[in-house]
Amino acid sequence: MPTITLNHITKIEGHAKLTLGIEENKVTVCQLGATEGARYFEGIVVGRRYNEANELTSRICGICSCAHVIAAITAIENAIGFTPSEQTIKLRELLTLAERIRSHATHLYFLALPDYLGYESAIAMAPKYKKELQRALNMMKVGNHMIKTLAARDLHPVSAAVGGWLKLPSQDDMDAMGKALDGIKKDAEDTCKLFFSLKYPDFQTEGLFFSLKSEKEYAMLSGNFCSGDRCHAPEQYMNHIAEFHQEYSNANYATEDGKRFFVGAIARLNNNSKFLSLNAQKMLKLSKIKLPSQNPFHNTHAQAVELVHSIDHALEICKTLKIKDEKIPQIPIKAGRGVGAIEVPRGTLWHEYVVDEHGVITKANIITPTAQNLYNAQEDIRCFIPGIVHKTKEQIILDVEKLIRSYDPCFSCSAHFLEVEWV
Amino acid sequence: MMKSKTIQMTKPKVGFYGITGCAGCLLSVIFNEDELLDLIELIDLKAFPFVKEVNPDDSFDFIFIEGLVADNDDLAVLKKLRANSKYLVALGACANTGCVPAYRNYSLKENYEHLLFKKQESIQDVKPTPVDEHVHVDHYIPGCPPDKKQILTFIKAIVAGRTPKKYDSPVCMECRQNGNACLLDAGKPCLGPITAGGCNSVCINGGFECWGCRGPTKDMNLELMIRILRQKGFDDKFIQDRMRTFIGLKLPMLERVMNAHNNP
Repeated sequence: MPTITLNHITKIEGHAKLTLGIEENKVTVCQLGATEGARYFEGIVVGRRYNEANELTSRICGICSCAHVIAAITAIENAIGFTPSEQTIKLRELLTLAERIRSHATHLYFLALPDYLGYESAIAMAPKYKKELQRALNMMKVGNHMIKTLAARDLHPVSAAVGGWLKLPSQDDMDAMGKALDGIKKDAEDTCKLFFSLKYPDFQTEGLFFSLKSEKEYAMLSGNFCSGDRCHAPEQYMNHIAEFHQEYSNANYATEDGKRFFVGAIARLNNNSKFLSLNAQKMLKLSKIKLPSQNPFHNTHAQAVELVHSIDHALEICKTLKIKDEKIPQIPIKAGRGVGAIEVPRGTLWHEYVVDEHGVITKANIITPTAQNLYNAQEDIRCFIPGIVHKTKEQIILDVEKLIRSYDPCFSCSAHFLEVEWV
Repeated sequence: MMKSKTIQMTKPKVGFYGITGCAGCLLSVIFNEDELLDLIELIDLKAFPFVKEVNPDDSFDFIFIEGLVADNDDLAVLKKLRANSKYLVALGACANTGCVPAYRNYSLKENYEHLLFKKQESIQDVKPTPVDEHVHVDHYIPGCPPDKKQILTFIKAIVAGRTPKKYDSPVCMECRQNGNACLLDAGKPCLGPITAGGCNSVCINGGFECWGCRGPTKDMNLELMIRILRQKGFDDKFIQDRMRTFIGLKLPMLERVMNAHNNP
């Protein structure tokens, strides 16, 4: 087998590398690792004040900076024993939904779609697919605008804080966001129709799907960590999720009770589909996907369905929430440990902090969706190759890239180019 | 026919690359939702690996770098791109100042040792540093991330063959114009007075104090800033931590100024 090296496979967040060896139609080497320079955020927050964790850990990731902010705040509030107001939680939900809308729209059209339409990039698609790209840009714009309205900045938002909101949106802001959301409902439905019409490989992962699950809603900021009926309370996560190192990677790998698993939009759909909005349920039916799905390629469909759901859910909040003038109260600090587990665009995000009696962070642990998915994605590639090994080298690479991108990995979070090295 | 060809030839060859960072600055380019499709017509976008599969990197007029140097791979990429480009633009706080990831230069080693990856011998394999510690930088676009419109303005300027101007007045200028109540007066540790604006005081508009992400102004009065923060009751560790979060490496005099003021 000749040695084939392909550098800089692209269109993912962050830098990663895949080393593949195939001999006589068998995979001999398969190593998917992050090559992003390590940043050690868990060390950076140690010694800092309890109310600084969100501003610092936001910098883990641009596209999901709201996610890190809300996860950090949730974990810190749990550590110091603070219960936020209902309005605070609703607005955090709205911020999380806004981020999900912009993130899914960006991933679906800019990172995933070109593979399926045979283009090198969304930019190259522009002349022929202007209408489709405009749709993506409309949704991204509304998501970004909402984040800016709620939290002052569209990336690394600042108004969400431990204890509540530093600045509240006005009722007019809520109305304006509602109007903007109304304006992209059709874009989201058309996105579903477009993505359902594409041809996806039939492939089953062996990994279990995990997401937060709740008895009353499409779980997002609370719930147990479940795969079907197999559930763990968030504060017990460290008894079940184990991280390990591999020499070829600058991101950790994770297992759940020793086994590989995957997180993300399709896992959420598997666990929570009955709580989808009516429009989203209609779209799900149209997709013809049977749940629970074990096909990681369905993550793309699931993101499209979630666009519809997220818009509906956000609209409901904008229409029903009457903004009260709430100030952040004086918070008495007590020592403690707290876990924050929330559903973010790419899956479940974990933040955990230990705070001492002076309000200083003494320990932190953060597990990102991509770190949880990395092991499963690597093993999926190993299992996926035998079925496509008869194809040309270019086709194999494209199929493997499609698989990796279906996970919507963010190697900035855990670890930008995927460098495929054939040995 | 002849005419359109002439226009084609004057488009600057541009590349956007990320080294170690959060992709937030690259996203800020894409998040110019209303202008993006026109913007890509104005330039010859040769490379942008975040969104492009095909990225020839042999010759650029302008290369935009997001991120900081955190390992040897970053350094190799940075040096190659510098060698292949007429102008290098440091895009965003990591590339400009080292940002939050460079804060670890100031925190305790023992905070990190348990986080080491196997292949690393020590936490300080490569000191996390902004790009101008390694290569010549022609233009700086500050901010974590920079305002997306600011990136747009910069690109429009280079297309027109102009050199974009650097904003060097403190955040307080815009903050006053925006009618915000002073957060320092309210006892909040705001670094607006020593931080270069151009951000429209976005954080303070959102109720949050300035942490200095756009870097210090040229003529900042660091001593006075420290004195005010001490008067407001902030201890030296807090002041040092806060100032070093985004711009530690751009304040090499910090410890000296703090000590001098302690022992007049």
